[in-house]
Amino acid sequence: MSELSEWDRFEELEAGRILGDLDDLELRKWKELSKSLEGSPDLSMELAAAAVETDFLQEKEEALPDFLQQRLLKEVLAQSPAVAQSKAGPKAGSGQTGNAEIIIRPALWQRVLGAKETAWAIAAALAILFAVTQFSKQPNKVNPEVAKQQLEGSASDLLKLDFAGLGDYKTLSGEVVWSDEKQEGYMVFSNLPANDPTANQYQLWIVDPTRDEKPVDGGVFDIPAGQSTAIIPIRNPLVVTNPQAFVITLEQPGGVVVSKQEVVVALAKPS
Amino acid sequence: MVDSPKHQASLHLFVERSAPTATENGILKQVASGVERAMETCISQYGGLVWSIALRYVRDRSSAEDLVQETFTDLWKSSKRYNPAIATECTFIGMLARRRAIDFARKQNRQPTLEPLPDAESLPLESSDPSAAVRCESSDVREALRHLPEESQTIFSLHFDQGMTHPEIVKKTGLPLGTVKTRLRRGLIEVRNILRRLEGDGEPSTSPTS
Repeated sequence: MSELSEWDRFEELEAGRILGDLDDLELRKWKELSKSLEGSPDLSMELAAAAVETDFLQEKEEALPDFLQQRLLKEVLAQSPAVAQSKAGPKAGSGQTGNAEIIIRPALWQRVLGAKETAWAIAAALAILFAVTQFSKQPNKVNPEVAKQQLEGSASDLLKLDFAGLGDYKTLSGEVVWSDEKQEGYMVFSNLPANDPTANQYQLWIVDPTRDEKPVDGGVFDIPAGQSTAIIPIRNPLVVTNPQAFVITLEQPGGVVVSKQEVVVALAKPS
Repeated sequence: MVDSPKHQASLHLFVERSAPTATENGILKQVASGVERAMETCISQYGGLVWSIALRYVRDRSSAEDLVQETFTDLWKSSKRYNPAIATECTFIGMLARRRAIDFARKQNRQPTLEPLPDAESLPLESSDPSAAVRCESSDVREALRHLPEESQTIFSLHFDQGMTHPEIVKKTGLPLGTVKTRLRRGLIEVRNILRRLEGDGEPSTSPTS
């Protein structure tokens, strides 16, 4: 058998190994050839198999059960190096504050971006549910106004932008303050109409070109009736390092994965 | 409600990039860097994928739950070895999940003669060897599949899309088992080759594998 045909045979067996369908005889031959042929196979065929499988799965992916997600968060994260690192304290210059106030939420925009790997609508919906749940569960340990003042007094890299209302929201005014270093920010709105959370919710999008071409989902929030001024903490799901704009849209309850931008309420960006 | 064309001027923020963007594959890098919430995001983003793959190979949901946990534990250990030039995050994570699931299924089926796939720790993904690169963008995967012979496309669909085993495909198509195995194996090789070509020069093969 020539070298070329032996390699071809080995590739076919390798494909069988990746597909999980080698019989005993084939497995012996695979072992024999893998020893005799120079060089080991790379991962390309296994990656190709995974790509085909994940591509097909996009259309029928099952959402991770909530209880399992909670279990993973508890058990897997406990073993992860990052947790050990965070328990040991934040790394100098890492930009991570270790702030327990920060809520971890899924990056829905990026989720969709990677989604050529997309169409994971069910998982995304779960992610939204998780996000909303987390948002609503967040205890108000610190008065947002006080927290905002503390941030303004302590952040050396404070970004402050004015919100401009758009369309029917022209009378809106407000500002956003943000610190990359602290990964903390607040939005202040005046004359932003109260919303009915059962009908729609405001949703924040953070445009950070250094991390993604699509805006990062900054979560949903409500403006209660009778509140002319509201301070909304920003609960960014991912590290935001260079926000170029903050955009508020009005979306269905719970927010959306991809905004159709039908109602763009306000925009804050450098002039 | 506002739905005015006047808003369009602001909407470019959603569709244009105003500066060079970060890589699309950011989560695993953040995981490798020890950003705690990146791991949580990773679970939110890819938990459904890992769960779905586990369920394809392991019918028992309790075992599938364990598999998902093992896969994510693997992922934390392997994240530093991930190279976005070699594969997308989705493909990389899908590969880890698939590997775990197949190993588990083998053990369940009492097939101890089969060697386990290499440990995640041994992944040579840091390699810059261009021959290893099969980033597997979804559009490329679809393109590659279109270049397979029709019969192979059908078998691929039954196996990868509908999750059928080889005997189930035999029953469904009436093809001999050997033919099913050969079509799948050669089809996989061809898909890999086309993906490499697409990565290399954007041109797929013009001669489908028979």
